[in-house]
Amino acid sequence: MKALTGNLLQDGETVFWRDGQWVPRFADAQLFDDDPTAEAAEAHAKSELTIVVDPYLIDLVESEGRWAPLSFRERIRCLGPSNHPQHGKQALGGADIDALKHAHGAARSTGRVNLIKRK
Amino acid sequence: MYRYDAIDKAFVADRTAEFRGQVERRLSGELTEDQFKPIRLLNGLYLQLHAYMLRIAIPYGTLTAKKLRKLGYIAKTYDKGYGHFTTRTNLQLHWIKLKDAPDILEHLAEVEMHSMQTSGNTIRNVTADPYAGATADELDDPRVWAEAIRQWSTLHPEFAFLPRKFKIAVTAAAKDRAATKIYDIGLAMRRGRGGELGFEVMVGGGLGRTPYLGPTIREFLPARHLLSYLEAILRVYNRYGRRDNIWKARIKILVAQLGAAEFARQVEAEWAKGDHAATDLPDTELARIRADFTPRFEKLPGRSETLEKAKAADRDLARFLRHNVHPHKQPGYAIVDVSLKVPGQTPGDMTSEQMDVVANLAERYSLDEVRVHYTQNLILPHVKLDDVPAVHAQLAAAGLATPNIDLISDIIACPGLDYCALANARAIPIAQHIAERFADPARAEEVGELKIKISGCINACGHHHVGHIGILGVDKKGEEFYQVTLGGSGEEDAALGQMLGPALPADKVAEAVEQMVEVYLRERQDGERFLDTYRRTGVAPFKEAVYADAH
Repeated sequence: MKALTGNLLQDGETVFWRDGQWVPRFADAQLFDDDPTAEAAEAHAKSELTIVVDPYLIDLVESEGRWAPLSFRERIRCLGPSNHPQHGKQALGGADIDALKHAHGAARSTGRVNLIKRK
Repeated sequence: MYRYDAIDKAFVADRTAEFRGQVERRLSGELTEDQFKPIRLLNGLYLQLHAYMLRIAIPYGTLTAKKLRKLGYIAKTYDKGYGHFTTRTNLQLHWIKLKDAPDILEHLAEVEMHSMQTSGNTIRNVTADPYAGATADELDDPRVWAEAIRQWSTLHPEFAFLPRKFKIAVTAAAKDRAATKIYDIGLAMRRGRGGELGFEVMVGGGLGRTPYLGPTIREFLPARHLLSYLEAILRVYNRYGRRDNIWKARIKILVAQLGAAEFARQVEAEWAKGDHAATDLPDTELARIRADFTPRFEKLPGRSETLEKAKAADRDLARFLRHNVHPHKQPGYAIVDVSLKVPGQTPGDMTSEQMDVVANLAERYSLDEVRVHYTQNLILPHVKLDDVPAVHAQLAAAGLATPNIDLISDIIACPGLDYCALANARAIPIAQHIAERFADPARAEEVGELKIKISGCINACGHHHVGHIGILGVDKKGEEFYQVTLGGSGEEDAALGQMLGPALPADKVAEAVEQMVEVYLRERQDGERFLDTYRRTGVAPFKEAVYADAH
């Protein structure tokens, strides 16, 4: 599954594609389950020179029953900076924002601590 | 403080007007993003995760009250009321709108500032010892030379399209507070046999994907030849730097591949060909610049009874004096470090209101000067000892008197993945978690000097390679992990850190730091800093504490 995202030219705000329009919330983004449709939307977005800068497709992953961006980077873009919870889209609140905060990427490991034996 | 002359003013005004036209053409669609991107980067304007980011140059980290107030005004008017001081002594504003950028540049020009050459493959904003002109251990005020470099390198046509970005740092003190060994060119002032001043020239230092400490290519360059020698270095680099591969394009790769001796030979040959008189600064111009860096100190006794009495009555002030106040070359004065590292808050961030407070203090108590340190703290360089209690009280009221300079909670952290489009992982929350664990000032003081440096990606803006404890964020399948290095230093005892072991998940990093501190407290011998103990014991006990299986 994929979504199309970019940043508005005028102010840099993170936005998502939905049926030919750009929307501010990831939860409202159009989900693409086939590549040709996604790529056609991306090509159309790229042709609109004065609206969004460098639109691109992102991979999604299912997390706790919802779709979320696979990469932590994209989840931060959907939320805003974690050091200022009142800044960015996270300030809007809602169940979709909460779900993104708890979403995981593909790495589920808690790391390799406690695995090195004492010599 | 150096003041713009007519030439400075004219070209900054021209550039601001030019950028206004370029932004208008971009917004109308006349320019494509591919055409516009290099133009906005030449003016320090990046597009990041949530908005545009403007990086404002603070030459050699020196500000006046007027400039700092203007930065506060811009942050309040065009951003979200705060700014972020960086390891390059610049200020970054993270919520800028493209349509506002030309107005912001006009505001900056009003106070003799700009954002040129804070991006792109040019000679970037020059940095210097933040204690310049105040510390007793310097041979000269390095800002005189840094200002000469600023004038020479700004819009220098020959060096506008270098193979890659290029950074120069200058110090004139024995203690390296400018991290000169990790710069493309590090300049450290030395006195020659006849008493003449000159520079030790180090070239090819740098962090990032391939870290190097800069080797010395000339032990002593007479200071009067600084600019012609820099020109020779840049010419060799401009000609032979690896333009074909961005990962090999920095001068450090050229120096490493040729070897320092061969690189030095080529520079000397280039320098011998040049017309030094045409490039080197005339004595008259040097004197003109120097006059702007000559503060008018009062003659005062070396001891202040006012301060001694206040210190005896106020434990917080006494602690502040131990960590944030440093000796000044002029009797009766002190250097006051202003920590931007409140445990739990963002390293290097400052609100507009705090900028106003420090600007007011600078005007009233510090001969109208403020400095930015690459450790992401500010400095009031010229405070009378008598005034230190008042300065401390006003800083404390504004949340700016954390007594933790060089202690474990004085952490360098780049903006990381919370803001930066290049980052792989966040740096700020890691710094916050570590600092909160050591928020008790008595505990931090017991641990002593310990420099933690955190980068959110391999580009190393957070200097992790040279942290006593360095932390590098990496992305593993969409999740944040952190590689830890130990034993680095960016100072006169410079060293690159050694890897501790496999990367840690985000929620284990602060705990790992605490475990390593426990090892240090257990192992340390009289007077050793964390770094000294590590250098004596090696990585083994620290590794075992963090990774050992309980079985």
